[in-house]
Amino acid sequence: MAHDTEFHVHHDSPEAVGRRERLGVRLLIVADGAFLFGMIFSWFYLRNLNTNQAWLPKGVHSFSTASGWVAAAGLIVAGIAHRIGEYNKAVRNATALIALVALLVGGYYQWHQMAHMPFVAQDADGRPFFNGAYASNWVLVAGANMFHYLIGAFVALGLVLRGYRTKLDPTLEEWRQRTAGSWFTWIAVSGILCALATSFK
Amino acid sequence: MTTLSHAPASSRPVPNPQKSLITKLNMGTGMVLGIIFCWGTYYGMKAGRDMTDSHNVNKVLLMSMFAWSVGFLIGIGAFIGPFRWLIGKDLTDEEQLYLAGDGQGISRYFKYCTDHKVVGIQYLVGVMALLGVGGTMAMMIRTNLATPGSHFVTPVVYNSLVGLHGITMIIAMIIVATGPFGNYIMPIMIGAADMAFPRLNALSWWVLFTAVPVLCSAWFLGGIPTGWTAYAPLSDQAGPGMNAFVATIIIFAFSTAIAGMNITTTVVAMRAKGMKWNRVPIFVIGATISVALAIPAFPTFMVAMIQTAMDRTIATSFYDANLGGSGWLYANLFWIMGHPEVYVILIPGVAALMEIAPVFVRKPLFSYNAAIAGFAGIAGLSILVWAHHMYMAGWMPSLNGPFMVTTEFISVPTGLLFLVLIGTMWRGRPWMKLPMLSVYAFIWDFLIGGITGIYLSDVPADNYLHGSMYVTAHFHYTLMGAALTGAIGGLAYWFPKMTGRMLNERGGYISFWFVQIGFNVLFLGMFIAGATGQPRRVADYAHLFAHANLISTMGAYSVGLGMIILLWAIIHSWRSGKIAPMNPWGAKTLEWTVPYPVPLVNFDTPPVVTSDPYGYGRSAK
Amino acid sequence: MSDHDQEVLPPTPGARVGKFLGRSDVRQTFILGLLYTIVFVVLGRWIYPHWMPRVLSKQMQANEDIMIWFTVISAPIAGVVLAIATKSFMNMHRGDTPPEEGIAIRTNTPVVIVWTATSVLFCIVAIVWGLVALNTESIAAATDAPKSIVVDVTGSQWAWSFYYPAQNIHTHTLNLPVNQPVTFNVTSDDVNHSFWPVQLGVKIDANRLVTTVAHADPTATGPLDVKCAELCGLYHAYMETDGAIQTPADFSSWVSSIQATGGVQE
Repeated sequence: MAHDTEFHVHHDSPEAVGRRERLGVRLLIVADGAFLFGMIFSWFYLRNLNTNQAWLPKGVHSFSTASGWVAAAGLIVAGIAHRIGEYNKAVRNATALIALVALLVGGYYQWHQMAHMPFVAQDADGRPFFNGAYASNWVLVAGANMFHYLIGAFVALGLVLRGYRTKLDPTLEEWRQRTAGSWFTWIAVSGILCALATSFK
Repeated sequence: MTTLSHAPASSRPVPNPQKSLITKLNMGTGMVLGIIFCWGTYYGMKAGRDMTDSHNVNKVLLMSMFAWSVGFLIGIGAFIGPFRWLIGKDLTDEEQLYLAGDGQGISRYFKYCTDHKVVGIQYLVGVMALLGVGGTMAMMIRTNLATPGSHFVTPVVYNSLVGLHGITMIIAMIIVATGPFGNYIMPIMIGAADMAFPRLNALSWWVLFTAVPVLCSAWFLGGIPTGWTAYAPLSDQAGPGMNAFVATIIIFAFSTAIAGMNITTTVVAMRAKGMKWNRVPIFVIGATISVALAIPAFPTFMVAMIQTAMDRTIATSFYDANLGGSGWLYANLFWIMGHPEVYVILIPGVAALMEIAPVFVRKPLFSYNAAIAGFAGIAGLSILVWAHHMYMAGWMPSLNGPFMVTTEFISVPTGLLFLVLIGTMWRGRPWMKLPMLSVYAFIWDFLIGGITGIYLSDVPADNYLHGSMYVTAHFHYTLMGAALTGAIGGLAYWFPKMTGRMLNERGGYISFWFVQIGFNVLFLGMFIAGATGQPRRVADYAHLFAHANLISTMGAYSVGLGMIILLWAIIHSWRSGKIAPMNPWGAKTLEWTVPYPVPLVNFDTPPVVTSDPYGYGRSAK
Repeated sequence: MSDHDQEVLPPTPGARVGKFLGRSDVRQTFILGLLYTIVFVVLGRWIYPHWMPRVLSKQMQANEDIMIWFTVISAPIAGVVLAIATKSFMNMHRGDTPPEEGIAIRTNTPVVIVWTATSVLFCIVAIVWGLVALNTESIAAATDAPKSIVVDVTGSQWAWSFYYPAQNIHTHTLNLPVNQPVTFNVTSDDVNHSFWPVQLGVKIDANRLVTTVAHADPTATGPLDVKCAELCGLYHAYMETDGAIQTPADFSSWVSSIQATGGVQE
């Protein structure tokens, strides 16, 4: 049985597998980038169109510019921490943990913001609605950040746990560090672009 | 890569990864968990919510639909791989072999099977089912339009038919060539053992599978009033059926992103030794350009659908003009996806026909480079033309001129596709088999579809034609006349490799003529109705348009009959057709060098490629 | 295809072209192409216009011209493609074994260049034609604006209504005087509609809280159909009304008859 299996599973070299995985992740980043483009397009399109003067109707509160940057901070810290660990194997377990914690804390902050939005109003029947196009766009951007925090935390947790396993192929794991690096860098860039967009109120 | 043992698959013991959860999961466990998740979410969220508020209804329905999808995927074992990666206990060889379906016979088609050949067959059956459903709706639409004042269906049902026919067919057409052939044939064509990411390959299919019941649920939730374009703010106003549409698109967008990334990576990174870029079969090039174009194009539709979902559930105002929204935002996001999408559909069909033509004319593909330039040019330009769907939207009239320029320039790379096909035919003696017939049908249909596109891309003419039946006829000529014809040609061509049997020729010929003649009657009639001034998507029309519509309906029935005959031919041949030899067409691509059934890792020894696969013909001198 | 076996290329390009044109398959293809071209020209020049509605404005004339002349210009290209395909089809081989090998023509650079140049040229003709038409239209819209009759058009599910500010009348049919430019200011009460006065050959979407503008120059009198060209829900198919392009005298009496009933059409 075991002998038979040996004959049927094909093993490509870890180099080939690693390269493949990195390309795949980069292609998914392209897709996510197109999503980000759509979101930022929406932000500036509705902002400049300002239909019915209701981008940010009079008297509606907005988030401060700084809060948008704070919301992205977790993504940026995680990105930097991972890059440090990627190039310096000695501190890798520590930086992986830092990235995970940064993502969890940042994710919590983003969630907290979403739970306390200043622009949710109530209609005549007492039902909540988002007052204006700024509010609508803000919650979409925050949702995208949240998505990145969650996926990022999953990857970071995996890297932390895998850091303690010894039976893994070291070459492939090295490639996976680089692959994860593409993703962490991307979510940091995406966080910065989102924070930039939300700075334009 | 190690080689396959020579013992036939049936005599090898079924791999038995001891006590692994993956051996216990299949489509049945997926359905059970999906339904539990769906019902749990539905009743859990409904409790304590004011269900007279449409926002709450939408919230509950949408979340239930997503819960179904996630539940199904958990139940079939889609997340075992990622979870095992997370905890650092990667799948063992035995488990991977089990997942590949080795020695599991027919049951592997109902499991989370990673073998690209299984996924290809799953896609083929799925596409046929979607085309069947979409085609039935088309027949109902044409029956209602046979005479003015018809009451075959009510306007509510009619509008839903138009929208659901549209989206069902669009989904079917996006996967019609890259699904079955891109998964089953393409890895063999490039000499690979499997796709780059076998588990993601299974995921793309099963994610798509979960979208189907969601789409069908639209009927039980009151249908959709918006057509497949789902323009806002009509979609904000629409009833609960709209949620099914929104959820379907979001789920489908995940599936296409995963599939697109997987196919692209496979082609870039897993080609056989010696298969340089100028030796890659043209179908592989076309399919790759198509899915690579989908990767950046489709997410904007997802943004638009998420915004629609947010407007409908948590009362945001992306598309509500009172609160700063705009329908133009939707139209832009939709068409930034929508126009590349047309070419995502078209290119693999054309590429399949380019693969076919040299084999049957016994001549090299004429100007391989022109073919690539044609595909690449179309793909490149297609992201710069989206607003030609919005000439009459009034969103920015000053951009009509520039968009007209980019749009009309697409006719240059499109012309190259024609050149490649007629250049291949030139002075040749074509072997008139079913696949080759499709090449001729394509040239006729796509010529009409292409030329009518030039009027539509011209702003002053579009002033009159926009939103009329003329547009409907035009895009059916391109999507059905060109892309579906290409896919049917591909099916006839690769059927022997995918099923081990020849497609019944007589059935195929009869079906071909019923479909093609009917198709041309149908849509030439629709061109007349459109030129006369009949708007599209109307449940009823003035007596002025009666003749043209009756002609169209007769053509439609002929197409329907032809498709039923084709379905019969496929089922009949699959069960008891003539056994196919290994290379029935005498073709030179790699998929014809492997036997049927294709071994699990495709090749006993990895192939080495020394030339392109178009070395047909003798020297002219 | 035995006649190809002993083919030897003549020495000069001129002789090569001469030999090429002298070949029987080339002649047959040429004749087929000519036949197809004639069919398309007849279709475009004489049959197309027959299907289209009566021309009541400059804009409708412009787009009918485009429909006709684009068909005529593209006829030879379509003719060449179909002729080669037809010739190849007629040369078919049937049976269960493949035909003998054809000629190994990998590519032919002059052909690719000529083909691409022709399609670029065709493209440029189409683009320039379109841009000129577009420009003529916008200049006309700008210069005619002062003498235009203005109609405010509102789409709502599922009816059109019209307000003529200068005449101060509300109507549900669209009557206009001939030979006077008209400007439509279009908006919507609810979802998107598309305002389409068919015989005027113009169209513009109606959006809520936004005004979009269309412009037309009626040149002949006759009945007018107004339709909605954007799916707008349940009764989209029935969102239509009619009207007419009238002589100025007829139009004035139509306006007065409505003003007599309080400015609202019954």
